[in-house]
Amino acid sequence: MSPVIRAWGLLLFSSLMWAQSKDPYIGSQACRACHSTQTQDFFRNAHTKADRGCESCHGPGRAHVNAGGKKDLIIAFSALSPQKSLDNCLQCHSKDWSRNNIRSSSHSQAEVVCSNCHSVHKAATPKHLLANQQKDLCYSCHTDVKAQFSMPFKHRVNEGTVLCADCHNPHGAPAPTWRMGQRPRMQQHAQANEQSCVQCHADKRGPFLFEHAAVRVDGCGSCHAAHGSANPRLLNRPVVFTLCLECHNGAPGFGRQGQGIPLQSGSHNMADPRYQNCTTCHVKIHGSNADARFLR
Amino acid sequence: MRRLLFCLLLAAAVQAQPVVAPTPQRAGDAKGEDLAGYNVVNSIETGYRFRNVDGNLDKYRSDVNYGNGIRVLGSYLTINSKKPGTGKLFDEIVLSTQGLGNDPYQFSSLRVQKDKIYRFDSVWRWMDYFNPALPIANGQHAINSTRQLQDHDLILLPQSRFRLLLGYSRNQQDGPSFNTIQFPDGRGDEFTYLWNIRRTRNEYRLGTEFEVLKTKFHVLHGWEYFKDDTRAPLFSPGAGANPTDTATLTQFRRDEPSHGQAPYWRIGIHNEALKSFTFDGRFTHTTGQRNFVVDELAIGTGRFSAAQNRQVFVGGNARRPVTTGNVTLSWFPIERLTITNHTALYNTRMEGEGSYGEFANAVAGLNFLNFQYLGIRTFANLTDANLKLTPWLGVYSGYHFSERRIGSSEFEDLDAPTRLERTEQTNRLHSGLLGLRLQPTKQLRLSVDGELGRADRPFYTTSEKDYHTVAARAQWKTKRWSLLGRYQTNYNLNSNSLFVHSARTRLASIDGTFTPKPFLTLEAGYGHTHIETVTGLAYFSLGELIENDRSLYRSRLRQVRLGAQLSIGRRADLYFGYHRIQDAARLGQSLMDQAFPLTYETPLARFSVQLHKKLRWNFGWQYYNYKEQFLALQDYTAQTGYTSLSWSF
Repeated sequence: MSPVIRAWGLLLFSSLMWAQSKDPYIGSQACRACHSTQTQDFFRNAHTKADRGCESCHGPGRAHVNAGGKKDLIIAFSALSPQKSLDNCLQCHSKDWSRNNIRSSSHSQAEVVCSNCHSVHKAATPKHLLANQQKDLCYSCHTDVKAQFSMPFKHRVNEGTVLCADCHNPHGAPAPTWRMGQRPRMQQHAQANEQSCVQCHADKRGPFLFEHAAVRVDGCGSCHAAHGSANPRLLNRPVVFTLCLECHNGAPGFGRQGQGIPLQSGSHNMADPRYQNCTTCHVKIHGSNADARFLR
Repeated sequence: MRRLLFCLLLAAAVQAQPVVAPTPQRAGDAKGEDLAGYNVVNSIETGYRFRNVDGNLDKYRSDVNYGNGIRVLGSYLTINSKKPGTGKLFDEIVLSTQGLGNDPYQFSSLRVQKDKIYRFDSVWRWMDYFNPALPIANGQHAINSTRQLQDHDLILLPQSRFRLLLGYSRNQQDGPSFNTIQFPDGRGDEFTYLWNIRRTRNEYRLGTEFEVLKTKFHVLHGWEYFKDDTRAPLFSPGAGANPTDTATLTQFRRDEPSHGQAPYWRIGIHNEALKSFTFDGRFTHTTGQRNFVVDELAIGTGRFSAAQNRQVFVGGNARRPVTTGNVTLSWFPIERLTITNHTALYNTRMEGEGSYGEFANAVAGLNFLNFQYLGIRTFANLTDANLKLTPWLGVYSGYHFSERRIGSSEFEDLDAPTRLERTEQTNRLHSGLLGLRLQPTKQLRLSVDGELGRADRPFYTTSEKDYHTVAARAQWKTKRWSLLGRYQTNYNLNSNSLFVHSARTRLASIDGTFTPKPFLTLEAGYGHTHIETVTGLAYFSLGELIENDRSLYRSRLRQVRLGAQLSIGRRADLYFGYHRIQDAARLGQSLMDQAFPLTYETPLARFSVQLHKKLRWNFGWQYYNYKEQFLALQDYTAQTGYTSLSWSF
């Protein structure tokens, strides 16, 4: 080998070594020496696909390794502020349609960020890497909702066939335009920004020739308690006619013309139990194609 | 031993898990076994579920509905390639199921993926719902419909800058449902009947996600098809609901097919090119349409005992195009401050035409054409600021504005006369939010939030008008202890000079978890929710208009949750729970004074023991006790339980 080639080879090798020593990344292999608990089952984790392995989330690790594992030379999520932790995850996870409003969500405002619900290293569910079963995670803060799902009539969340995320978007949702736009702010929107209820209750979605305006104007919550209720059909009141009459009372100032929501017919005698279950006759109460009074 | 007994006694009073099975503990090694380049973890729980109901079985079926029989109570399978990306057809399979066999609530979830090539997610659910025919049941729980839901999504090239999305969803509902026919006309008797509903919704999705110039785009086109082929074939109905009415209905038939489609587009744009600014846009357009026909035949006698037949034919269509736009701008001027502004626009118009024809005793009695239009345009603008003043103190505030305009036209052409009614209503809402977050120590977090809103012209008497919300929360968490206390009050006043409506909700709860040893966890919680509403009523009674009456509704919900989880020597797990909910409101003295006092309690116990490395035996028992003061014949008690083997291969 000529001395010139040898010199060039030496130069190339030394520059490679120099570049490597300057590279702040050291590779996941080095992490295994100390963090075997976190790394031994990591092949099951979706984050194995990240380009730089452990350092994709925890940042460059060479300085941390060279300093003998000094904690402040690596990104440790337990030491990050909620905002920083959120920013870190969103570097990769911001592109999904469902996370468009994460920064303005009620969770972010309450400093509930990714690591409060997701556990990358000790996930209870391989899908979505949740720290616990979904309902238990939500219940841990929303204790009143846990109570509602224990009522006699409820959506079957505890039974495991309905998930909180079927109706809610924990990452934040756009303003709910099926009612005035202020609340609720975490409800999953069905297509066309509709209330999530119609995703399963498709027959209530319409369009109908005669829409019951309450469904479109103030949403399903006008009459129903979506989580759970002591009343059949998750109704807000135990007696149906009071639920209807609370709006259909002709009180001035309300309705489309400000002349009140139409009063019931004079032929109805509310003292007669026959008239006390309004939906016995007004069977198509969510909307009808054949009758403006929802009778068929 | 005495110590253990003490633990068990203490545990017997602790947290409730609402459903006893499937068993959360799995058989087999959690680390799995290696097989041909893959790691496999699996556990299947099969067993027998039993129940014994005393009291109203139908009410039990409406609330709980677990039956007897052999079930695959739960199963879990994961297969992962040991080296990511080296699997031939797949790198990961995750399958979990619940209640297969004959449980009323069945669920399965599947994920299959091959790194960089595809990811397939599928969820299948089946629910058997038993329900009262009437909202106040009188013990007639006659509706037993089943619902099957499926969602399948395939993403091609999931990790690339260009991703292809394909999806299919299906929603099917079958079973008896309640309906009523009035005969011979609107003033006639009511004949109730059950008919078999058959509703199907299919949705197909095709879309893409890609990145150009640091901007991420999401484009999806979907097609939704809905059909309702519910029908009541010719049959002889029973007696009418009104015993004083002499009308009879001897034969009846109704076909009411409604078919429609709703193709839709949605486009999302996300840009985070600048570190201190992000932009999110979301736009959707849907054109929904339904075509419908009603064909009805009723034969019987009228109120004067004369033979009567009536045929009704309705045909037409309804349309609802919806356009929405959402833009969220987030600005981070300094590290501790986030300002977001969200703008939403929603525009829809619902319209349609229908022709109604009625023949009474083969003579055309009524024939008219309907046209209806309802348009809603909502604009909302929400601005929120979140500032971290110090590492332990944060504040946030917000101002939200929304305006909604509702316009409608109704047209009715009844033979010759024509009526066209046009109306319009606009409501504006201003609301302000203020919140405080405190973290004085690492273990303790406190927060207080408030919201105040004012609407100028709400549509309904029960809508939010002058409302406020105050909420406070304290959480203390250490390695052994977790305590959470909450208080919230919501108040809404929607009264004017001639009308009153006010609604107040107050809830308070305290929940705690204590883990004194790694093998023992104790949980307890108490909460109460008080609801009080008063609303002005007007109605007819004995032909007289009653005004200035009031509807009162009171609810005093109290809830106790207790539970204990004990692991014995890493081989056996024991769980005790108790849950009680009680509405302690006093039963009203008049028809308009409503409350629904009830108690509903469910103690449960579950035992799971490892017999072998790959085999566990499980046993569980749960008791339900339902009592209401409204209608005592709905009360029931039920013992449910199961015994099962969890095994791994």
